[in-house]
Amino acid sequence: MFSKEAEQKMQGHSPRELAWRRFKSNKVAIPALVIALFVIVAVLLAPVIYSILGIDPDARDMTVMDDRGEIIGDFGGISWKHPFGVVPGIGYDLLARMLFGARVSFLIALASTVVTVLLGLLFGIVGGFFRGKVDGVIGRFTDFLLAFPQFFMILALSAPMVERIQKSGIAHDNEARILYLIIIFSIFGWPYLSRIIRSQVISIRERDFVLSARALGASNWRILFKEILPNVWTPIIIYVSLVLPGYLTAEAVFSYLGIGVQPPMPTLGVIIADSTHYMMNNATYFFIPSLTLILLVLTFNLLGDALRDALDPKSEA
Amino acid sequence: MLIGKKTVRAAIAVAAASTLAGGLLTGCSAPASAGTITYLTHQDAWTHADPQRNYTGRDIAWFGSYMNRTLTAYDRAKGAAGSAVVPDMATDTGRASNGNKTWEFTLRDGVTFEDGKAVTCEDIKYGVSRTFATDVITDGPTYAIGMLDIPSAADGSSAYKGPYSTDASNDVASFDKAITCSADHKTITFNLKRPVGDFNYTTTYLSFGPVEKAKDTGDQYDMHPQSTGPYKIKSYVAKSQMVLVRNTAWKADSDPLRAKRAFPDKIVVKFGLTEEVRDQMILNDTNKDAVSLDALLPTNLTAVFDDKGNPVAKYASRAINVYDPYVRYAAFNVAKLNCLPIRQAIYYAKDFTSLITLSGGQALNGDPADGVIKPLMGLDYKKVTGYEDWSVNGNFDKAKALMAQAKTECPALYARATDPKQGITYDIADTDTNKKASAIWIASEAKAGIVMKFNFIEAGKYYAVVLDPTKQGDMSAAGWAPDWANASTVIPELFTKEGGFPLSQNWDDPAYAEFKKGVDAALVEPDRKKQGQDWAALNQYAMDQMWVAPGVFSKTQEIWGSGIGGAFFWDPQGSLSFGDLYTK
Repeated sequence: MFSKEAEQKMQGHSPRELAWRRFKSNKVAIPALVIALFVIVAVLLAPVIYSILGIDPDARDMTVMDDRGEIIGDFGGISWKHPFGVVPGIGYDLLARMLFGARVSFLIALASTVVTVLLGLLFGIVGGFFRGKVDGVIGRFTDFLLAFPQFFMILALSAPMVERIQKSGIAHDNEARILYLIIIFSIFGWPYLSRIIRSQVISIRERDFVLSARALGASNWRILFKEILPNVWTPIIIYVSLVLPGYLTAEAVFSYLGIGVQPPMPTLGVIIADSTHYMMNNATYFFIPSLTLILLVLTFNLLGDALRDALDPKSEA
Repeated sequence: MLIGKKTVRAAIAVAAASTLAGGLLTGCSAPASAGTITYLTHQDAWTHADPQRNYTGRDIAWFGSYMNRTLTAYDRAKGAAGSAVVPDMATDTGRASNGNKTWEFTLRDGVTFEDGKAVTCEDIKYGVSRTFATDVITDGPTYAIGMLDIPSAADGSSAYKGPYSTDASNDVASFDKAITCSADHKTITFNLKRPVGDFNYTTTYLSFGPVEKAKDTGDQYDMHPQSTGPYKIKSYVAKSQMVLVRNTAWKADSDPLRAKRAFPDKIVVKFGLTEEVRDQMILNDTNKDAVSLDALLPTNLTAVFDDKGNPVAKYASRAINVYDPYVRYAAFNVAKLNCLPIRQAIYYAKDFTSLITLSGGQALNGDPADGVIKPLMGLDYKKVTGYEDWSVNGNFDKAKALMAQAKTECPALYARATDPKQGITYDIADTDTNKKASAIWIASEAKAGIVMKFNFIEAGKYYAVVLDPTKQGDMSAAGWAPDWANASTVIPELFTKEGGFPLSQNWDDPAYAEFKKGVDAALVEPDRKKQGQDWAALNQYAMDQMWVAPGVFSKTQEIWGSGIGGAFFWDPQGSLSFGDLYTK
């Protein structure tokens, strides 16, 4: 039976509405959301865009280059036919390469994010809920992972791990490298989320509704997944929106250093690495993919900030 | 020699080129004996400074100009004249007897090491003996082992194992018979196992130069070789720099080749520069007296050369674009790819235009090759026939027709070549440009129904891997230049079982026996003109069998600072003639 007071509240605003209001009032939130959605749609529908614009990531246009592979015309050969210009030397359409490359980059970032969240959630909830020995073991293990010099581990493990994946027959060449990046990003990514979730769970498990569920004889399983899990979605959403651009950048960095995806398969990192060679005589080719990566990462970071402000107004901005 | 090991070869332009040997200083102010020349390189150190281990054309030219004297040397002149052999430490270019199997050289007076000790026949003999210690003195040319009259051990290697071996079976006696010294220590005699009409070209190699036994430190000699030339090492630190100063023990009147040419007082080599930094220093003329030892980054070439390959006005006086002695090609592993129509189909389906554009275009990179002998070789070159329908853009109809022929002639290999899961494996060095090139190959070969797979091999280990028959794929990218102006340093090296670079593994091919007979005859042919025709015919034969898919007759570029005078391209070494450079 609800009290009158409670009924009145029901007529007010749900937490979701409140969050949306706060989100809308943030000046950068809506543009960031629009750009992010636009990019995601563009990446998902890349094949459609290819056919609309008449571009193809594998087609080479030899007519736009001179004999030395230099692009004819200013600004990297930007034209109606090639909206972002052409890759010098080989004649690929840059927009098509970037769309294809972004698909690979997003595949790596999204898959890593999903695995990171699943692992972080699992270990965070289990550790926070069971406390004691279980928590101790998980806690020390996360400490262990966080203490690793990740960057150098990734560099050092790259060759042997990729070779092992190839030998196992699961994946080959670039597929193996993509798999390696996803595995390694996830392994080193989940401890951060796990700690956030754990602290949330520790406070939630002491609340009255958990106590009453326990008093009613609910199993641990039910309490974990029906009572606690729905209450930790806020930090998860925020974490996802922050970790995704982080993985996008990380993919670019490792591909740039030559240990991620290898050319000719494009990713944003591979394209940027290649473009640096042409910085002196074809700056357009360098700036377009670099600025795109900056825009992408900035967008997702601003979106993440806005989400956090909207969903968790008590936290410090 | 291998590509990447930029080596000597001699590029002789035949009829043309009546270049004046003395014309190198035309239009420049008179060179003064002063100043410091600074060399810039991305390398952390010289590949080898030890004369017996130096097998890179550029480095041989550099050390030969400044520090290491040899019995004979290439003349310091532009064009074809530069490929003429002249006496250096010897009084003449050698005296052959016994049907070119015995060669005799007499040393000049006044030739000394940097410590003042006179160079004797025994020092040269000791230097040559080091070549035989292949476990210590690695990477050098092995002509001494192949030519000197010393019996072979059971495993086919030389019975003489060099001066460091303490093994009782070491056949020192044979070596002492193969090289003999006169009583006055002035005359050295080489006894060869087969006639070598141009042995005095072989002796231009620093590996036929002297080493003072008391100063020899084995593999450590690489860091402090003794000088016999006008300059000596003051300091040499890897990843930092090398400084050469004048060698006071050197007597100009003993050295007519270098006497009027030792211009700078000091020579500095800066190691370990980032490639982009090295290029920008030279392009912006930061140090006017600097010379780049390396090639420009491909992406910087377009700033220096126009689309015809000529230097733009700003660099007109300090950059050149010339043919180097190399031929680049893809060697077919005939042991694996024993089906002629498939080998030919791969060649016909190649997209030469796209590949050459990727590396900077024909004007800067070179022209399509028709075989493994370059037209610069003059006597030994004749245009290869039978492939007139090959096109720079690919002849896919012909390629498809050949594949149809292969389907009936060699069905098993045809099935493999067209199976998306198997295909043809192509070994190539792991570089960004090659990765892009692989996409071009895959796309164009697919038009003939051929599946190409790429095996990218770490650049520094590339040749070590592909020269191992158990690791080589179906085809391997390669490059080769003659060691001197005779295709005897090309055809036998590439296509016989005994050769130094037998990537084609063609000795089980039914066509090999006849070919080998021709090679053996050509090697001992006394008439040089007839020998040239023989090599041209053997080149044609190898192309008929498609033992390699010809690639590019390649070009190279050199650039130096505005304060440097006297620069010209020294054909036989494929580099600048470093010893003629001076500061303006």
